[in-house]
Amino acid sequence: MRIRLDDCTHLDSWVHQWDARFKLMALLGLMMAFASVRSIWLLPWMGLIVIGLYALSQLPLSFLTTRLRYPGLFLLGIIVLIPWLSGSTPLWQWGPLTLWQEGCLAALLIAGRFLCSVTVGFILLGTTPFLTLVKAMRSLGLPMLLTDMMLLSYRYLFEILENLDRMRRAMTLRGFNHRYRAAHASYPSLRHRLNTLAIVTGTLFIRSYEQAERVYHAMRLRGYGYRTVKPTTVQAYAPSRATGGYGWDAIALCGTLLAAIGLIVANYWLG
Amino acid sequence: MHIPDGILPAQVSAIGYAIATPLTGYSLRKINRQANASRTIPKAALLTATFFVASSIYLPFPPPLGTLHFLMNGLLGAMLGYYAIPAIVIGLLFQALLLGHGGLTTLGINTVLLGIPALLAHQIFQLRHLFLRKFNSQMVHGLFGGLAGGMGVIGAALLFFGIVITTIPADLNAATEQAAIYGLTIVHVPLALIEGAFTASFIVFLQRTKPELLQTHWERSPKPSAVKEVERV
Repeated sequence: MRIRLDDCTHLDSWVHQWDARFKLMALLGLMMAFASVRSIWLLPWMGLIVIGLYALSQLPLSFLTTRLRYPGLFLLGIIVLIPWLSGSTPLWQWGPLTLWQEGCLAALLIAGRFLCSVTVGFILLGTTPFLTLVKAMRSLGLPMLLTDMMLLSYRYLFEILENLDRMRRAMTLRGFNHRYRAAHASYPSLRHRLNTLAIVTGTLFIRSYEQAERVYHAMRLRGYGYRTVKPTTVQAYAPSRATGGYGWDAIALCGTLLAAIGLIVANYWLG
Repeated sequence: MHIPDGILPAQVSAIGYAIATPLTGYSLRKINRQANASRTIPKAALLTATFFVASSIYLPFPPPLGTLHFLMNGLLGAMLGYYAIPAIVIGLLFQALLLGHGGLTTLGINTVLLGIPALLAHQIFQLRHLFLRKFNSQMVHGLFGGLAGGMGVIGAALLFFGIVITTIPADLNAATEQAAIYGLTIVHVPLALIEGAFTASFIVFLQRTKPELLQTHWERSPKPSAVKEVERV
């Protein structure tokens, strides 16, 4: 597994320059509005908003397609299963299998909402450096313990992945097969396999823990836990922007929230 | 086990946040009350990262299990106590942002799904102290570790079942969907057994090699009254 963060945060689009605090509030509001949509007629509007935002962010299409691989499995499951499971109006029948109209509509609605929300989440992450995002969360009131843990976890992620890679290679060299082979006589039992996995994870954990302790002691020596410095400048929340006030940020926030409220009202109106 | 974006009505997502916020607040309050609370942060952050990595890796198992991944909320609860809640919030946030697994609108409800069983798992694991003097330490750690690991999965599956079954839209064929959800929940029983066995082995390994890692901050730190007494002296 490879963690790909901050791949596209160096770009200089309008969404990249948007103050992270305003962007976070606006996009979260938009996602909540997407979650509230129950009418299929609003899906094209949601799609238009997301496509517009994506175009404004100037993120390459490959950024989205590579990240959609994992949630795409869920999407495929929804599209394949739900139309056959739910409904009362049959569209097509073959033996015991019936394709239901309501199921198809429900699958479309769930898939649409899911795709739009996930894409907005990726726009947020693709246009904001992770550290800026954490700073923005902190300034919006997220407790310091959570942000500290988030930053440390983020740092340890790469360390753990590197250690995991090394240990996997070592396991393969010592004959541990990652693929299940039923016909293989020497294939270990489930119990033995679980035990091996637990020992490998434990070793990985202890090894990383010792490094984490060293990092913590170094942090304490540099004053961690004694004072906090709050970022106050615009650049702290929008690194690609030189200077300026919050006028456009606030207008963009209001515009996005108006679109979100519009979706909620239209959904209520359409019943 | 995570509920992705787009499945639940917005009201349920809002209720999820309404429960997850005081739950997280309560855990943070408990943590901040301890003397030198930041001491456990590296361990908690490391377990958060491990939780994220381990729950993103699909492991091969013999048929009919196929490939599956560990939830690890029981293990987090057993090892971290109240720190498990912030660890789960962060792990879920990473999964939503980096992998598109779960979601930001369902972050609250997913925290409740995994967090409450994690706290229960912590209480179960604490019960080991009652038996440590009478029985073999390795056996007791393995047993209660296994119970905590299994509890994490069973608790999350039951909560998942309860939430999804009560929020199925009325215009859909509820009976068929309920049958599908029952089936999905039953599938989690072998997963709970496997995760329980894995957690037991993991805990026994740590107990043999680095037992201090199994002590939560609450067990290590002196009682507040004792600290006050020392300060007074």
